[in-house]
Amino acid sequence: MDIEKIKINITVNGRRHTLCVSPDRTLLEILREELNLIGTKKGCDDSNCGVCTVLMDGMAVKSCTILIPQANEHVITTIEGLEREKSLHPLQQSFIDHFAVQCGFCTPAMILTAKAILDENPNATEDDIREGLHGNVCRCTGYKKIVEAIEAVRDGEYKEICGEV
Amino acid sequence: METLIGKREKRIDAYDKVTGKGLFASDYGNQFPNLAYMKACRSPYAHAKIKNLDISEANELDGVICILTGDIPGIDWDQFPKTAIIAKDETLWAGQIVALVSAETLEIAEKAVELIKCDYEKLPAVLDYYAAIEAKPVTVVDPDYETRPLGFTDRPGDRASNRISPNIVGSFKMHAGDVDAAMEMAEVVVEGEFWTGKKTANPLECANAICRYDSDGGITMWSNGAGVHGVIKQGICRVLDMQESKVRIIQPYMGGSFGSRLNPYIEMLTALMCLKTKRTVSFQYTREEIFIGAPSNWPCITKVKLGALKDGTIIANDYYLAEEIGACVNNTFFSGRLSSSGAVPVYRFPNLRMDACAIATNTVPAAEYRGLGCPEAEFGIECLVNQLADKLGISPVEVRMKNIIDKGERNAHGELITSIGLKKCLQSVTDIIKVEEEPNQDMGIWKKGRGCAVGGKQNTPLGRSEAEVWYNSDGSIQLFISCDENGMGATTAMAQIAAHEFQVPITDVRVTKGDTAITPYDNYSASSRTTYNTGNAVKFACEDAISKLKEEVARIYGLHPSKVEIKGHKALLAGSYIQEVDIPSLFQPTSMFSQGNWGLQKGSPVKGKGIFCPAPIHQWNDKGLSDRVWNWFQYSAAAVEVAVNEETGQVKVLNIASSADTGNPINPKLVESQIEGGIHMAIGFSINEEHLFDNNGKISNANFSDYRLPTILDMPTNKNVHSCINPDPLPDGPYGAKGMAESITIPVGPAIAEGIYKAVGVRVTGYPMTAERILALIKEKKAKEVTK
Repeated sequence: MDIEKIKINITVNGRRHTLCVSPDRTLLEILREELNLIGTKKGCDDSNCGVCTVLMDGMAVKSCTILIPQANEHVITTIEGLEREKSLHPLQQSFIDHFAVQCGFCTPAMILTAKAILDENPNATEDDIREGLHGNVCRCTGYKKIVEAIEAVRDGEYKEICGEV
Repeated sequence: METLIGKREKRIDAYDKVTGKGLFASDYGNQFPNLAYMKACRSPYAHAKIKNLDISEANELDGVICILTGDIPGIDWDQFPKTAIIAKDETLWAGQIVALVSAETLEIAEKAVELIKCDYEKLPAVLDYYAAIEAKPVTVVDPDYETRPLGFTDRPGDRASNRISPNIVGSFKMHAGDVDAAMEMAEVVVEGEFWTGKKTANPLECANAICRYDSDGGITMWSNGAGVHGVIKQGICRVLDMQESKVRIIQPYMGGSFGSRLNPYIEMLTALMCLKTKRTVSFQYTREEIFIGAPSNWPCITKVKLGALKDGTIIANDYYLAEEIGACVNNTFFSGRLSSSGAVPVYRFPNLRMDACAIATNTVPAAEYRGLGCPEAEFGIECLVNQLADKLGISPVEVRMKNIIDKGERNAHGELITSIGLKKCLQSVTDIIKVEEEPNQDMGIWKKGRGCAVGGKQNTPLGRSEAEVWYNSDGSIQLFISCDENGMGATTAMAQIAAHEFQVPITDVRVTKGDTAITPYDNYSASSRTTYNTGNAVKFACEDAISKLKEEVARIYGLHPSKVEIKGHKALLAGSYIQEVDIPSLFQPTSMFSQGNWGLQKGSPVKGKGIFCPAPIHQWNDKGLSDRVWNWFQYSAAAVEVAVNEETGQVKVLNIASSADTGNPINPKLVESQIEGGIHMAIGFSINEEHLFDNNGKISNANFSDYRLPTILDMPTNKNVHSCINPDPLPDGPYGAKGMAESITIPVGPAIAEGIYKAVGVRVTGYPMTAERILALIKEKKAKEVTK
């Protein structure tokens, strides 16, 4: 049952890591279990709930279905990498202000997906946001306040530096 | 400072959650070196005899620590939560555990499960209500192998005779007025049989627990289960015979519950394994296990007959309900009473006959799910009220306004209704979506239709909530509570209450929550009771601390405590030479050499305690009547506009308005969040979610690919989601507040059903209203039209 370990180089939240891990492990497992980045959650095993979403080279991906060799030499951003120095990311502050958080289990993934949506299209319409978020399930909020939070950032209501960490 | 009640204070847990810094129970694995991992071997058959169970090969696998089976001595499985019972001779649903492994790694545990050889003999299985009540039904527990009878309760008011099937395992009857006589007088009658699907609440964090074996033989557990004191700790102490001092339960942030985590299945099994192996163990359910091994909701079958006068006044309701509860052996919980309670709070029904029962099947044992069966129980009534309106040619709003109970009236049980804002709720949603007007048909094959419905849900007067609050020597406030924070914002509301009582900003209040070694007793957050129960306890605790603080301040200034008023850091003194003092300055500094340290001392808070228990019920009489069967009632109304694809049967909700009678909301934004979340959850289970079964009776869609939870695309766009709050203050709630989170889901399904009827002319009789079902009804209707 033992598979030979391989060497993996990944940059996570600006830090480069060289890991020696079994290639059958997922990016999600490596983030949570090896790098202790537990802000990335696990809710299913087949990439249908979206709570494991991280950014890979700026794209929102579901880390539970990325095998770690696929992430080799790629740049990963998790929720822990979103804060700027002494400041929350505008999306984080907007999620707080708009009550876009309830149980919070989907929240890191929602925020990262939102970032990918706005990075790709700073003028994303509500329809664009809905299309971009439809792979991220939230059981609590009904999504309305999440869209409101993203639209507020899109509309420039938040400065780059906002909220004390 | 003005009041904080009714203010849109931001959630106190939001920062932790947007940064990913807040720990959920499933995040604790990294903190324990030498953690052992659990994995379950589960039955693939809905009903089978275990002919032989061979764990020898698995036991020999290097790294396996322990394998528990149903025949380990000294365990009374009947005391365990239903989904935590390890099968011994017979498995009663596909997914029941037959062996439980712990190993040094998860991979070894998984491998060990593969090596367990279980030889099954498939037995006939009962998978739904209709099979369970057939004339000669297969029994859920095979009589030849019966080890744990399904049980039958004989509580007063229960129908202890006339059992038509061995699978009927509990019943409840009530009869107010004289239904037969009233039906004779009725000028119009509508009736029908209604069904609902079996579903799983599916909070996004799967059930999980880590149980640490402590050096003194005690245990400390981190889990996302609800009710640290009342459910988990009490359960473990009772079932595993543990001293209360040796069980500590901690609830970190919970990734949702919706009722489903009120059942301590994973906690019991993890504690059992921890004690057997004296190791710190982790048990993390997979999503598939949440479907097949964790409680589902209980679907209801209802047969409803409403008799009315021509002006729309409903004079009689003849009501039958069956709760399908899955393989709940030794049932003591279900009788049909919980669900059928939904027939009572909304309409007058001067004559109401309820005949309710619980039906066992070979499916996953049922437990709480948001609404406690009321959405299922009220679906048929609401559909029929809409039909009645159509039949009489009066508006569905008007017919409801005519029959909804008014404040100060008594419901069919005989209970006084002290808070009901339902008429205002209905008015507000139908002002937004005008159900009496026809929508423009401008979407081609998508036909539009509008509908409305209402709902009510009882609050069960169970439980006891305690709170402790500290007024620290610097004027900051610490609150200790044990209610669950499933995500609904209860901790924020509780902090708001404390801040309001002490007249400090909410940022001066720190909440410590959910640790049985630190925070005081609370049963659990169920029945939408937290705002009411824990809220009252917090208010009491604050009043207690304030009263003690007043005494201390009064003593210093030679005043009667009634002359002191506490406003945050300031005490206002009446009749003294000093008008106002800074309270923190009254706390004397202590050093390691100071003596006689009485009175207010730095570092030693003034503490208050509060306890709240609702008044108990009055046992109902032989007709099931009593002036106190439940506590208070929460209400909701919904109006929708749907579009139905004539060619595929697909249903889309285009526009929805939902209103809640919350009593006075503590925080309207949190209420709005619950309304929006409730809408979305109800759209999911009304249109799409249900368990499907394969030939072995196993759930065949036990994953999120095949059991689709509603995504953002299933919700109307933001401008078409309307939330309204129409409070009617609850006299005994804190500041007039009451709970509201469950009622929201009740009217959504029947409002959609009416919208579908208006759109394409077919009457659905149950949910989920899937495209296949709607298409079949459309085809049936067209075939009939052709024959005509």
